[in-house]
Amino acid sequence: MEGFLGGLAILLDPWVMFMVFLGTVLGIFVGALPGISGSTTIALMLPMTIAMGPIPAICFLGAIYCAANFGGSITAIMVNAPGDPSASATALEGYKMAEKGQAGLALGMSAVSSAIGGIFSIFVLIIAAPLLARAAYAFGPPEYFALAVFGLSMCAAIGGDSAVKNLIAAALGVLIATVGMDLTTGTERFAFGIDELADGIKFVPVLIGLFAMGEMLDQVVRRAKKAKIIALDAARVPGMAEFRKCNRSIWLGSVIGTFIGALPALGATTAALIGYNETRRWSKHKEEFGKGSIEGVAGPEAANNAAVGGSMVPTLALGIPGSATTAIILAGLIVQGVRPGPHLFTEQPTLLYAVFASMLAANLFYLGLGLYMAKFFARISLVPPAVLWPSVFVLSIIGAYGPDQSMGDVIVMLVAGVVGFLFRRTGFSPAPLIMGLVLGGKMEETLKQSLIIFGDDVSLFATRPIAITLLGITAMGLLWPLASRLWRLRVTQR
Amino acid sequence: MRRARNPNHAIAASIAAVAILAIAATFTFDPVPPGLPGLGAVEFPRLVCGILLLLALLLAATHAEPISAEDAPPIDGRAFLIFALCLAFIPALDVIGMIPAIPLFLVIVGRLWGGTALLGLVLSALGMGIAIWFVFVKIFRLTLPKGWLGTVLGF
Repeated sequence: MEGFLGGLAILLDPWVMFMVFLGTVLGIFVGALPGISGSTTIALMLPMTIAMGPIPAICFLGAIYCAANFGGSITAIMVNAPGDPSASATALEGYKMAEKGQAGLALGMSAVSSAIGGIFSIFVLIIAAPLLARAAYAFGPPEYFALAVFGLSMCAAIGGDSAVKNLIAAALGVLIATVGMDLTTGTERFAFGIDELADGIKFVPVLIGLFAMGEMLDQVVRRAKKAKIIALDAARVPGMAEFRKCNRSIWLGSVIGTFIGALPALGATTAALIGYNETRRWSKHKEEFGKGSIEGVAGPEAANNAAVGGSMVPTLALGIPGSATTAIILAGLIVQGVRPGPHLFTEQPTLLYAVFASMLAANLFYLGLGLYMAKFFARISLVPPAVLWPSVFVLSIIGAYGPDQSMGDVIVMLVAGVVGFLFRRTGFSPAPLIMGLVLGGKMEETLKQSLIIFGDDVSLFATRPIAITLLGITAMGLLWPLASRLWRLRVTQR
Repeated sequence: MRRARNPNHAIAASIAAVAILAIAATFTFDPVPPGLPGLGAVEFPRLVCGILLLLALLLAATHAEPISAEDAPPIDGRAFLIFALCLAFIPALDVIGMIPAIPLFLVIVGRLWGGTALLGLVLSALGMGIAIWFVFVKIFRLTLPKGWLGTVLGF
């Protein structure tokens, strides 16, 4: 408590507070730009923070991280192009709501659920950080492999026409993740002598292509001439009735997001996709999903922002990044001369709690900005399609080119755009492919490590209670629909 | 009466073709020295391809209605022209550079799209070009492609 109060006291410094506010505004802005993710911005800002000193620098970067996740939902809802990878689940329902003329409602719910998820996770961290870190640290390769398989199996329920199509998309994502150098053997796979492919296919160009470019190409075929006129209802922020309806989704998303975020390597995108799936599973209004469900916005938004707080636990307490973005923040800490790890809690508790306090402040800032500016954000859809979609193309090109300034990444993005376009025309959802791509590398790595530990004896997975439980749940989840169909068929035949 | 074609057959065949091509490609990987513990470089991709083939079979066995025109509208000549312009944008970066290419692309594609006055398109394209230059070049210090023209003009 003393440390946290010390952290709050640091936040009262006007310079630190200004950096948090600036980080929040910048985070919302870049989060809303398709293709410019929070991680890209933090990487670009890192050199500029060196002169700031550790506390303002980490507070600034932490605020960008928090706000970019919320900002990403703006374009996910308005133009079906998630500005940040973690908003891909939000696009599934948020865009449908915007099409129904409920953009303001979706944006308002996104702001509130994001803030609740974010604040919840930070309070959990303050109270239970050492316990959460210890639990995550106890996971070995077999548990991570089982968790990745479990996460992919849940793709079966994400959007699209059918569970089989979703699983195909997820498997394609895993296959794409194998492109490049195999780290165990040093063998180049599926690179075909192309240098850009030897390093593996990067996440950002594929994501921009599948979502933003795929949507743009689809819109080219449809070519709506007039902008959708936003009805008065679209500018309405959520009321008590909507909050009551989404109450369960927000808390479910917050808990899932905090837990997933605290597990090393599983970040906000995974949390949002799992949050979406679980929200749908536990919803009393399942029939609304896929048609613009407000619960389908609240759950993943709470989850992805809760994951932001959660992912800071292994980063700060163990020195293991909880996500791609926290890996960059970790580099920022090291540049500032801070050694992340368990000793941080005892040696520099004030710095640790200043980070948590600044993240709390960032959540409150974007809640205010999000609610106050919801009507303004909703106006984005008044931009004529002839101006909006060609601009999305240009921003996608820059988004793919920007991080590494590589035309190879632009080509990858365009190819992914064509895949996204074909997916849309054949009833596939791009979200499972992204999940497969995110989890594929981890899945292969942990499977290889597990087999080395087990001496190539797969049956030894049964000796790991957490791993075997997760694998058992996965098998049941995949086989249950088939078994129940066969059972119904048998009963009908009798 | 002729039965409507199940679109899942063509989709499943495409997925199976991708999986078979990927399996074939694994035979071109450099050989791994024998005696390394655990999985090698080819086993995991082949395992994933096997799962893909299995899922493709499952998909082929699933009935589906033909894809509606609402889900997949026919692609007209103007859409193909816009696709071609999108592709032409990439080599244009090498010639005129990104900052001049952006407003040019926005005006031409916006005009082909239709529904917006030329003046509005020109103004918004210029605004977009300036905004991108300010945010990405001035603030984020990205080096965008200058192209042959930019080099000649000394930008």
